Amino acid sequence: MRAETGSNSWSSRPFPSPRRPALRVVGVMLGLLGLASCAAPPPTDPDALAEYKEANDRYEKLNRKAFGITMWANKYTLRPVAKAYIWAVPRPLRNAFGGLYQTMNEPVVFFNDVGAGRPRRAGDAFVRWCINMTVGIGGLIDVANYAGYKHHDNDAGLTLATWGVPSGPYLFLPVLGPSSFRDGIGYGIDVGLSPWNYVPRGYGLLTFNWAYNIMGTINGMATNVDALDQVMKDSLDPYATIRSAYQQQRKAMAEAIKNDHRATVPDWYHTK
Amino acid sequence: MQRFIPRRHALALLAALATMPVASAWAVDAGAQARSFVTMFGSKLVGVVNSDISLEKKKQDILPLLEQYVDVDAIGRYCLGRYWRTATPDQQARYIKLFHQVLVNAITDKIGDYRGVTFVVGTSAPSGDDTAVSTVINRPGQPGADTQWIISTASGSPKVVDVVGEGASLRLTQRQDYGSFIARNGGNVDALLRALDKQIANHH
Repeated sequence: MRAETGSNSWSSRPFPSPRRPALRVVGVMLGLLGLASCAAPPPTDPDALAEYKEANDRYEKLNRKAFGITMWANKYTLRPVAKAYIWAVPRPLRNAFGGLYQTMNEPVVFFNDVGAGRPRRAGDAFVRWCINMTVGIGGLIDVANYAGYKHHDNDAGLTLATWGVPSGPYLFLPVLGPSSFRDGIGYGIDVGLSPWNYVPRGYGLLTFNWAYNIMGTINGMATNVDALDQVMKDSLDPYATIRSAYQQQRKAMAEAIKNDHRATVPDWYHTK
Repeated sequence: MQRFIPRRHALALLAALATMPVASAWAVDAGAQARSFVTMFGSKLVGVVNSDISLEKKKQDILPLLEQYVDVDAIGRYCLGRYWRTATPDQQARYIKLFHQVLVNAITDKIGDYRGVTFVVGTSAPSGDDTAVSTVINRPGQPGADTQWIISTASGSPKVVDVVGEGASLRLTQRQDYGSFIARNGGNVDALLRALDKQIANHH
């Protein structure tokens, strides 16, 4: 499960969605399998071929359809709601809700940090979870940040990337947004890693889960709505712009995790 | 006795070794130069953005800074990608003129979003022929944005040729936007020029 993190990156999904794990994961997996049969042939001109490889978008025709439908739906559903939310809720409160959502996702970040073999990051995520769930009132106040444990993103798509799994072709998943074969599979893994999906569901929890997901979705869209509006306005081909930005950012995020060789002991331990 | 290294290779190796300290000294120098350039340019930008003057005046004051310290022509050529070679000189000239306006609009549109900005210059590292300087841009109440500035001295003096925000290069993203648009319009550069014209006309 990915959380909206407040950073304006495409990896923090512009199209967050409520958690209904099993069905969606099956949907994503079936979609991935079904795609294999509808790839367009690569161009023959060398320059065009280089561009085709750079875009890494074998299923462009289908992806563009998914993009069109998603943007259309977004324009009439989530976007107006997010705009109203921004109008009604002041920024500090929105940040607090974002923190709540982010903290609930911290276990997923932790498991992925462990999976990527990055103990310092895992430790940071663990401490963030402990501090923010208690002193931070479930994440409403990001106390951990003030204590020097800054938030970082991680998800199973990135963990697979650090293991050397190639991204595979680019995908635009309806409603979920930009992805790839690897990140789509990673998404399914993340849903499995989120402890919230294993909590027995009484009526109270069910209500909480819905409220939490709807709040997270709207808050996430509110964080990204301006960036998304700008891309739609300034780009001649918004689809290609989002594809490019998403793939570059995912690559940079995976690189950042790979190159994070910080020690697990605090800095003062080394300096006498 | 058989030589381990043929003389030819030994000489080449020696030459390479001899230039190594010079090369690394140059790299250090280029890095320091790029960092001080970003510090200077950044302070000037932030000075205008954070000042109390009207938004219109800010936009006017930013223009000379962009012309002086950003290599807009080089960015424009990069963004047209493979179509730069196939474009006629007339198309190239029209494109560069339009691109200047588009870039200036894109930057000045953002000024209003930034108030009380501070920035911290971090490390520098070689990036191809250019130098990448890392900065963190802080806005009140928002998480700091990791931004890299790619500085090139190809024009004779240090100039910005790219900005990388959260891992995405602005010029590469723009190139893929333009490239895809042109490809979907039958490889016709004029289609791009018309679209840019329209974009500028609709800008307010």
